[in-house]
Amino acid sequence: MHELLLFASVPQHQHHELLQQLAGLTAMQPRHALERRLIFKAYRKPGLGASRTGGSQDLQASGDLQRVTKMLNGGMFYTQVVGPVAENDFSPSGPDADVQMSGTEGNSAGSAGAYDYEQQPWRLEFRDVPEAGTRSAVTARVMATAALPCGDVVPAMNAWGYHFVTEYVVEGDMFTYGDIVLFLHRVLHYPSTSLEDKEPRKHLPALSEMSVMEKSGSYVLQASMTVLDGSNQETMKTASRHLFALREKLRSAVKLEMADRLSLDTRAK
Amino acid sequence: MVRNSSPMSLLPSHTNTRSSLQSQATIISNNLVSVSEHLSDHRDLLSSLVAYPGPDYPGRTQAGILEQLLRTKLDPRVEDWVARGRAAGSGSTPASAFTTSDAASVPAPSALAANDFKPLSDAELAELWAWAPVEANQEARRRNWGGNFTLEEREAGIENVVTGLKRQLEDDEGDEEDEEEEGDGDAEGEDEMEIVGVRRRSGAGTVEFDVAAPHHHKAEPVVPLPEILRYMTTGRMP
Repeated sequence: MHELLLFASVPQHQHHELLQQLAGLTAMQPRHALERRLIFKAYRKPGLGASRTGGSQDLQASGDLQRVTKMLNGGMFYTQVVGPVAENDFSPSGPDADVQMSGTEGNSAGSAGAYDYEQQPWRLEFRDVPEAGTRSAVTARVMATAALPCGDVVPAMNAWGYHFVTEYVVEGDMFTYGDIVLFLHRVLHYPSTSLEDKEPRKHLPALSEMSVMEKSGSYVLQASMTVLDGSNQETMKTASRHLFALREKLRSAVKLEMADRLSLDTRAK
Repeated sequence: MVRNSSPMSLLPSHTNTRSSLQSQATIISNNLVSVSEHLSDHRDLLSSLVAYPGPDYPGRTQAGILEQLLRTKLDPRVEDWVARGRAAGSGSTPASAFTTSDAASVPAPSALAANDFKPLSDAELAELWAWAPVEANQEARRRNWGGNFTLEEREAGIENVVTGLKRQLEDDEGDEEDEEEEGDGDAEGEDEMEIVGVRRRSGAGTVEFDVAAPHHHKAEPVVPLPEILRYMTTGRMP
């Protein structure tokens, strides 16, 4: 599958206005979304016999996981594991609950609120480097998404040759406009702890403790469209035409542009 | 409303000129109409007439005029006029047929603007002329005219507004001096665009005079978009 993208930076003071404009344009209410995003990085050359060992053994059955395995072995890439979370998953009692989590199992289940790491659904989102060359002014890249088992994904990812790098939370609103998905979002950081860059958190701190990555609170507007058959020039052309039409519509509000290719470079060096 | 404003009162002869122009135009148009009537009334006679120069015509010296008078084909220039007139005439006929058919229900002016390829009928024109002054007046009353800055700009702080002018515009809200000031400024011819500055800004990726520009000076994102995307892809902090 291919993905066509346009991006725009939205200053914080324009955020509310743009939300309303988008709601008007798409004739829908914004769908608020919170996502945990875990970044994984390939740490060994692919194809070194990792495919049949350990945690991935029971995953081999599923068809699209097999496909992903093949894809992931094509090169060294950063890849993301995305888990949708709800607002009330962010418990206000941050550090205490962390301690309890590392303590007895039964205790933590009671006090850690609604969030249950073992039940967290994940999906693996692989994105290739955007295609080189600017024959059309959109960012186009190969993409694939696959569902992962709930709970701890680290063993499975390790088995594929990936180790955990970092994680953050994306907060934003989603709109659908025809065949285009508009996602107005920003990155939230966890309050720093010692655990930070070793493994994904088992517990989420209060949302108010999260800090925005971009200090001025600006948002990113991403207009994306998925094309099933990326080799078909005709569909790709139609898709980018739709994106351009949207860009024209929003021209007076935001400037949607193609992203810097290297900023979306997922290759691990 | 317009008539009371100062530029009009500075030119007292303006209205006279206009009315005299109008009467001249009417006279010309009346003459043209009567010529055209004569031509069409006596069409049969004129088309069967043959012009012939008398024996005492100075054919050698005035050959140019003679040729002009005797030529049977039209001058290329004139032919162009005729073609244009014919096109205009044939274009208007179907449209007027259309408008007379539903002249009873005159659509709203906004709807008319949508299909602008059809000329307005007289009724629609009258409607538009009746509607426009009232609407324009209402729109004008809603705004506070005469200042150098919009309300939006003033709220955001006028010192941040990029005007592209070298001289400082003052914020003359409720200030009586603005007319004099404007006069001075124009007289001194200081309203040059500072083009270099404008270009420099547009080169940096943000074009100054866009519709979204009024917000430009407020809280510009600190981290550029590529850095955010890079972090989102690889987790590398900017």
